[in-house]
Amino acid sequence: MTLPDVTFADFHPILPALILMLGGAVLLFAEVFLTPSAHHGPAHVSRAHQPIIALVFTAAAALVSGWLMFQPARAVFLGFAVLDPFSAFLSLTVCVGLGLSVLIAAGFLRHRKAERGEFYALMLFGAAGMSLLGVSNELVVLFINIEVLSVSTYALAAYLRRGPRPAEAAFKYFILGAFSSAVLLYGISLLYGATGTTQLSAMAPQMSAALAKTQGLVYLGLGLLLGGLAFKVAAVPFHMWTPDVYEGAPTPVTALMSAGVKAAAFAALVRVFLALGHNLDSHLLATLFAFLALATMVIGNLLAIPQRNVKRMLAYSSIAHAGYVLLGVASLFVSGGAPTGGVLGATPLATGGLTAALRQDAVRGILFYLLAYTVSAVGAFGVVSALERREEEDRGTAWDLDRFAGLVHRRPWWAVAMTAFMLSLGGIPPLVGFMGKLLIFKSAVDAGLVWLAVVGILASAAGAYYYLRVVVYMFMRPAPETGVLPERHGWTEAALLLSTAAVVVLGIAPGLISSWLSQAGKLFGQ
Amino acid sequence: MNPDPLAPYLPMAVLLLLGGVLAVVISFLASFLGPKKPTLQKATTFEAGSESSGHARQRFAVKFYVVALLFIVFDVEAVFLYPWAVKFRDLGWFGYGEMAVFAATLVVGLAYVWKKGALDWET
Amino acid sequence: MVPITHYLVLAAVLFMIGMFGVMVRRNALVVFMCVELMLNAANLTFLAFARQRGDDLGHVNAFFVIAVAAAEAAIGLAVVIAIFRSRGSVQIQDIRTMKH
Repeated sequence: MTLPDVTFADFHPILPALILMLGGAVLLFAEVFLTPSAHHGPAHVSRAHQPIIALVFTAAAALVSGWLMFQPARAVFLGFAVLDPFSAFLSLTVCVGLGLSVLIAAGFLRHRKAERGEFYALMLFGAAGMSLLGVSNELVVLFINIEVLSVSTYALAAYLRRGPRPAEAAFKYFILGAFSSAVLLYGISLLYGATGTTQLSAMAPQMSAALAKTQGLVYLGLGLLLGGLAFKVAAVPFHMWTPDVYEGAPTPVTALMSAGVKAAAFAALVRVFLALGHNLDSHLLATLFAFLALATMVIGNLLAIPQRNVKRMLAYSSIAHAGYVLLGVASLFVSGGAPTGGVLGATPLATGGLTAALRQDAVRGILFYLLAYTVSAVGAFGVVSALERREEEDRGTAWDLDRFAGLVHRRPWWAVAMTAFMLSLGGIPPLVGFMGKLLIFKSAVDAGLVWLAVVGILASAAGAYYYLRVVVYMFMRPAPETGVLPERHGWTEAALLLSTAAVVVLGIAPGLISSWLSQAGKLFGQ
Repeated sequence: MNPDPLAPYLPMAVLLLLGGVLAVVISFLASFLGPKKPTLQKATTFEAGSESSGHARQRFAVKFYVVALLFIVFDVEAVFLYPWAVKFRDLGWFGYGEMAVFAATLVVGLAYVWKKGALDWET
Repeated sequence: MVPITHYLVLAAVLFMIGMFGVMVRRNALVVFMCVELMLNAANLTFLAFARQRGDDLGHVNAFFVIAVAAAEAAIGLAVVIAIFRSRGSVQIQDIRTMKH
């Protein structure tokens, strides 16, 4: 029997996750060993330091991810995981989302007097799962990492147990999440049966043989795999859980879900289908993703329009944004052989096949979009969390549009920040969301999905309506006479400041990260 | 050779069938033939000979669930020890190191649970 | 020796039972058990294919799935307890505060 040849270099791609896990463990121990119990003294002494511990470890993980971005792509742990700039960029995006969510959580929990170290520990464990999901190159490892991030977020969603809403959100999230994980796993087991392996690099060369022998098994397995991942990214028609879960979960958790969970699930989707899609009928894959993108963009935006509850509106808008990313994913799979005049409206480029350079551009577009969405959406949830009041949560008016009325007169900086986030989410130049949409739509057009790109632009024009409505409420409506001035939280305001800076700076000068981005298009084996 | 792969299981099926039929027949005969003289003592729930107390469908204290949850998690983690034990000699120090890391992770969890007070029955 | 198709069909039937159970059952705990059934159907499929191929990988995968299922069971039961405490029922139709 040969022993696996594992060296320290194999641990490089999982270093960010290891740092985050270590941070989580430190927070757990700080909670039980250092925090004085209620009998012995004031509990808030060391609890004030918990967000700082979490932020230090998050920053360390982000730095290591930045270093990994420039390492040569290679397979590690016998091919079970890979080190590539793609996963490093994802890890960085997750750390950005995590850091901002921790800041929001610090203000949020202080306000609710619910400060406990486990909250940050769970966030760090979940983020570790997200980071590991990006490097997974084996389907069972992928499943385990999905579970690591899901189990942490189930617990976080149920964290504020008082009141029926968080429990309900956690329950719905748990049942549908566990259901989709089971669907995903069954798909993996069928693919294992068809190819005899669960490792993506080993599976890809087996695909054509498996297709010839057991076609049904392969298609069913891939279909279930796609269904499971579509649940995680909240693509229509697997989106039903999103609004309730996003509304009911504590707002910092919603921020982490919308940013990190979604980005990690998209990374897994891209990696799996790029590895296995080669031997499939690429027209089928492109059509499938194109229809998913179409349905998700249109339905997400349409459902968001009538929402007066801003948190729920942001939930629907996150579905719509998943649609734009899916548009980028669809353009990855457009390649030669597409019949002209088909659904996709093939252009010369499409019939000629997508070149490696264009495919890298599409991957870059997806990654940049995920980063852009992370900073904009987490910032928006930060404003929502600063404005909400616990007393009104059970009545469902805690996030009503009226709470934003006249915000510019009460907290002008919050209003300005929220405006930046709304305009960025709406894809209005010169903010980062616009750059993200530009990259996505450009790669869609390059791939010949012109028709779909046009629908995407129309859908985002419709989306601008509900984003601008929030801006109108903040600037044009009078503030309620009796309204209590929302309390300021230093932590939350730091998150708002950082997100606003990112939204504006990355929008005006995306060249700042262009060296990273040009790296990040490289996936291992592609 | 027997062409039907399920053939070796036929005796099992016969046994299952006979067992089921026998159970039904005996229960039916017992209720049909046996004398019925219910008294208060006979009608009470049998509880190991002592006086029965409380309702059978009462709610259990939540601390039972906490212990049960912890038991499930730690119990199932032991599943990874068996394959390692089988291949212990082949895996050598590398396997030992890996398993030590795994066990240490569980100890961290146990220490947290312990210190958190989840194992204190009285509080 | 039972042919592999029997195991696969059994696994598929278990999976379908679990899936329909999640959709139609009303008790949160039963729904949760149906999810576990689906995971075990996947496990059975792994084992059947591993046996067919004489390959250890499927067996290893089953171990990991068992561990993951245990973690999921722990968090799931905790969430169900939280639901029960906040509204005194684990029936799905009662869990509907938020508008659709």
